Amino acid sequence: MSSFDPHKITEIHRHLHSHLPPEPALRVKAIESLLVEKGLVDPKAVDTWIEAYTEDIGPKRGAQIVARAWLDADFKALLMKDATAAVNDMGLQGQATGHLHAVENTDAVHNLVVCTLCSCYPFGILGMAPAWYKAAEYRARSVRDPRGVLTEFGVSLSDNVAVKVWDSTAELRYMVVPQRPAGTDGWDQEALAKLVTRNSMIGTDRDLSKGVA
Amino acid sequence: MDGVHDLGGKQGFGRIDRDHENDPYHGDHDARAYGLSVSLRAERPYPIDWFRHVRELIDPIDYLTRPYFDSWLQTSLALAIDRGVLDMAEVTGHKAPGPNAGDAKPLTPEDVRKIVVTPPNFERPTDVAPGFSVGGTVITAAQGHSGHTRLPAYARNTKGVIHAHHGAHPLPDAEARGEDVIEHLYTVEFRAADLFPEVTNSDVIYLDLWESYLAAA
Repeated sequence: MSSFDPHKITEIHRHLHSHLPPEPALRVKAIESLLVEKGLVDPKAVDTWIEAYTEDIGPKRGAQIVARAWLDADFKALLMKDATAAVNDMGLQGQATGHLHAVENTDAVHNLVVCTLCSCYPFGILGMAPAWYKAAEYRARSVRDPRGVLTEFGVSLSDNVAVKVWDSTAELRYMVVPQRPAGTDGWDQEALAKLVTRNSMIGTDRDLSKGVA
Repeated sequence: MDGVHDLGGKQGFGRIDRDHENDPYHGDHDARAYGLSVSLRAERPYPIDWFRHVRELIDPIDYLTRPYFDSWLQTSLALAIDRGVLDMAEVTGHKAPGPNAGDAKPLTPEDVRKIVVTPPNFERPTDVAPGFSVGGTVITAAQGHSGHTRLPAYARNTKGVIHAHHGAHPLPDAEARGEDVIEHLYTVEFRAADLFPEVTNSDVIYLDLWESYLAAA
């Protein structure tokens, strides 16, 4: 049974800090040896988690969703109304897609996703979050100075483009649907999906025309 | 709680470091830390918000400086010790690891393959009518409390407009105390200029907030 006692937890953290090796690689190694020896963890399951998000699940899934939305108006309508259903329709359901919401960039709107309180992220369609998404700098600044953050990522917005920031404070997860770049008429889903960057689905990238030429 | 985890709007943070931006993990040991952490907690013997609160309770210096999945692993480890499946003396090396006395068999690779394609559904039925409707004006709570909550400090005591209603979800504040309380969940739209004094544009920020964080305004 969990204690739900914050004071007990603080003490446990203090002990772990003092007794485990301070160097991260050694610390992880020591913990793995203990957990495996005690029979709490199967090292093959650990491999499976890592492989799942290295080989199978990543931003290519999100890119397929965006590319299909660009091509298929009915699918796009479903995606904007119920992104979880749209993801299920493509057979791409995964961790953190159960309450998915899609938000769309337009000429007048730019969306940016953050989780200021931890690092909530739609793993199931974007894979592992990039290091910067989980870093204190991004979490602190993207609600207070989103335009400054975007400039650092090379996205410059004119004053008449409104910024909408989505702070993921519940079990809802957000994906940005970027704008389809000009010059892609007649492209198929595979070709379009290659234009869709991971960052464009978080909101730290906007103009996808760089991949068109 | 007013911890260092509550980072939204905190100032003094510099440029965003984008090194290793395309590595799914950040070094082999961080990948290992991830896999170990989720292997240890994936059967979810406690609510997700208790996990989040235990992570928030990591020493502030460690919280801000250690690799990301290292902090997940420390959290999973603290939770295992807290619920008695692991003894601190086994971690510190003062006692040889005893047999797994816990109820749980370790996850198998097959279990993991199932979990990664099965999203949990957090929405819960309720007979209670929602207190707010889309388009209504609300004001957030003026103060936080010393436990877990999902109302960030930067969004306290501020007027916003209900943008969407998502049915009822477990209240994180209660979940992290081991209590089951179901409340309506809303997305609330705030003017950035109402949240931060230096903002002069018309940008907006959306937060997902539970009913008890809000009052009619």
